[in-house]
Amino acid sequence: VAKTSLTSPPWPEVKLPDPVEEAKHHAEVVQKVNKMIATGQYGRLFAVVHFASKQWKITSEDLIMMDNVLEAECGDRIRMEKVLLVGADDFTLIGRPLLGKDLVRVEATVIEKTESWPKINMRFWKRHNYQRKKIIVNPQTVLRINTIEIFPCLS
Amino acid sequence: QHFRGRKNRCYKLAVRSVRRAFVKSTKARREKKRFLRALWITRIEAASLEHGLKYSAFISNLLKSQVELNRKMIADLAIYEPKTFKSLAALAQRRREEGFLAALGDGKEPEGIFSRIVHHY
Repeated sequence: VAKTSLTSPPWPEVKLPDPVEEAKHHAEVVQKVNKMIATGQYGRLFAVVHFASKQWKITSEDLIMMDNVLEAECGDRIRMEKVLLVGADDFTLIGRPLLGKDLVRVEATVIEKTESWPKINMRFWKRHNYQRKKIIVNPQTVLRINTIEIFPCLS
Repeated sequence: QHFRGRKNRCYKLAVRSVRRAFVKSTKARREKKRFLRALWITRIEAASLEHGLKYSAFISNLLKSQVELNRKMIADLAIYEPKTFKSLAALAQRRREEGFLAALGDGKEPEGIFSRIVHHY
């Protein structure tokens, strides 16, 4: 039968690779990455952490400032859970959405708790004799990320 | 900047221009969030087009495969970690193909590795 413009659908035909071979390939890759982590062949690790309703991309020896109060004294060590992504030079571990607590460990220390610079909030409508001025000072906390560690417990 | 002309010397003019400066800064603080989000979106669009995906396909497939990175992070990753961004684009592309097959072929449940939903307890 001759091929017309309506024999095959207009979208490109999509073929997935074989599931058995795929599973084998995946297992191989997981084994390799596990071995790499166990032997310690990674350089600097970076992590994406969800903290204080924001997502931060952090490495070790990093400073982070957040616009709220943390109930911890200066000098307290904090362990951050809710890690979304961990990566090094050759591999990344993507969480869906979070990574397990027995896989990654992120440690941080509270360094200082200050207030922000006084921000001015002003509202003014012309010809209506309306102006309001308010000075807003937010409390801020500064954290330093000490270490990011990963453990070879992939499966 | 720093109040040009007689606005930096004469009291009456200075009062008016300083008041306008305060009001503009308060309004701009609210607009800044919208502006930055648009900037991140354009950057992610550019980076994903380099890998052959559109922004809409990229973001929708990432969300469907339960990766909840927000746009700021993805833009930063695309700038500083190109390999990670490439792997994210490949993940989105694979999930897109699995979605097409699930919609077209008459499989009862979606086959494929990346269409599976992970339960967190």
